[in-house]
Amino acid sequence: MNPSLKLLLLLLISIEVSFTDRLTANVILAVILLGLLVSQRLKWRQLLWALCLPLIPGVAVMITLGAYSGHNWFLAWVMLSRFYVYVLAGSTLIFTTTNLELVRSLEQNAHLSSKFAYGTLAALNIFPTIRRSVSRIQVAGQMRGVTLHWWSPTLYFKAILAALRWSDQLAQAMEMHGFREGKARTAAETIIIRKRDWLILFVSLVILQGLLIAFP
Amino acid sequence: MFRNFHLKDIIFLAIIGIIFGVIYLATGFIYNGLTVLLTPFGYGPMANDITIGIWCMAGPLAGFILRLPGAPFLSEFLSATVETLLGDQWGASNILSGLVQGIGSELGFTITFYKLYNWLTLVLTSTMMTATTFTWDWFRNGYSHFTPSMLTTMLIVRWFSMFLFTGVLVKLIINLLNRAHVIQRISK
Repeated sequence: MNPSLKLLLLLLISIEVSFTDRLTANVILAVILLGLLVSQRLKWRQLLWALCLPLIPGVAVMITLGAYSGHNWFLAWVMLSRFYVYVLAGSTLIFTTTNLELVRSLEQNAHLSSKFAYGTLAALNIFPTIRRSVSRIQVAGQMRGVTLHWWSPTLYFKAILAALRWSDQLAQAMEMHGFREGKARTAAETIIIRKRDWLILFVSLVILQGLLIAFP
Repeated sequence: MFRNFHLKDIIFLAIIGIIFGVIYLATGFIYNGLTVLLTPFGYGPMANDITIGIWCMAGPLAGFILRLPGAPFLSEFLSATVETLLGDQWGASNILSGLVQGIGSELGFTITFYKLYNWLTLVLTSTMMTATTFTWDWFRNGYSHFTPSMLTTMLIVRWFSMFLFTGVLVKLIINLLNRAHVIQRISK
C-alpha cells in the first residue's frame, strides 16, 4: 500500500479508536494489525516487544478504572485494547515501511515541502551518531567527576550545541550535493498512488466504521 | 507560517526532537516504575501526569532558541513523530499527542505575540500545554471516566510537572545558552 495512504489510514484508526469505547471492535482491529505484522515475518523478538510495550500503561489504566475509579471493567478492557491498537498501528507503520519510502511518498504524493521531508530524514539518518554523542557527553562529564543526569541542564546545553553544529554541516552538505529549497525536484524513484491503494483505503475505512457501529 | 524555516532550522528542530527522544527513551523506566508503584493505590494513570513535562520540553525550548512562529509546534510535533518512528510505548497515537502538545506550546507563545521571552511565556506555555494535553487524555487515556477528585489532583500534578520541566528546566537550559551567546546568534 502507498506509504502516505497507509499513514493516513493508521492515524484515522487511532483517532477513531480514541473517541469511541468499543471493545470488540478494538480487539478485531488489534488482531488484524497483529496478523499484518506476523505476515511481515518479523523477528519473534520484535513482535514480543510490540506486544509487551502497552502492557504497563494499559494494565495500570485498566486496574484504576476497574477496581478504583468507576468500577467499570468493560471500560477497563476497552482501554487496554485501545493501547494495543495504538502500538500495533505504530509497529505496522514502522515495520512495513522504511523511513525513506515514507518521506519520498509524503513528498511526492502528499506534497510535503522537500525541505521538511529531507530535513527530517537527514536528522533521522544520523540517529546513531546523536545517540553516541549524548552518551559521549555523559562519559566526558564522568571523567571530570561530574555525573550528568537526564535532568541536568548542562547535558541538554551540550547536546544543543552539538545539534547546532550538525544541522549546519548537514544543511551545507545537502546544498553542496545539489539540494535547493523550494526548487522543483526530479525523483529517482517515483511513487504513485494506484487505484488499488485508494480502494484499500476506502474499503478499510468502511469496514472500520462498520466495526465501530456494529460491535459493542 | 512555515515559509520562514530554512533547511538548517528544520534539521536543527528534528535533531532536537531526536535528542529529546533519546533522553525520553532513557526516562521511560521512570514512567513505568511510577506506574507500577502507583497502580496499587488506584492512581496508576497519574504517572502520566507526573512525567508529562519531560515529554513536552522540546517545544518551549525550540521556541526560545529559534524565536519563529511555528517553531514550538514543529519541534514538538517532529519529536513525537521521531519517537513513533523509533518505536515507543504509545505507537501511532504519539503522532497525535505530538500534534496536541505542539498546539499547546505554540499557543503559549502566540498569546505574547512572539514578543516576550521570559518567565511569563514559560508559565503560559506550561498552562496551555496542561490544558491541551489534559483534554486529549480526557479521551485517549479514559480520563473522562475517573472521579472528579482524582481528576483535580491529576490536573494540579500535571501543571506542576509541566512547570518544573518545560518551565524551570527549560529556563535553566536557556540561561546556559544565553551565557554562551548562542541564542542571539541564531535568532538574528
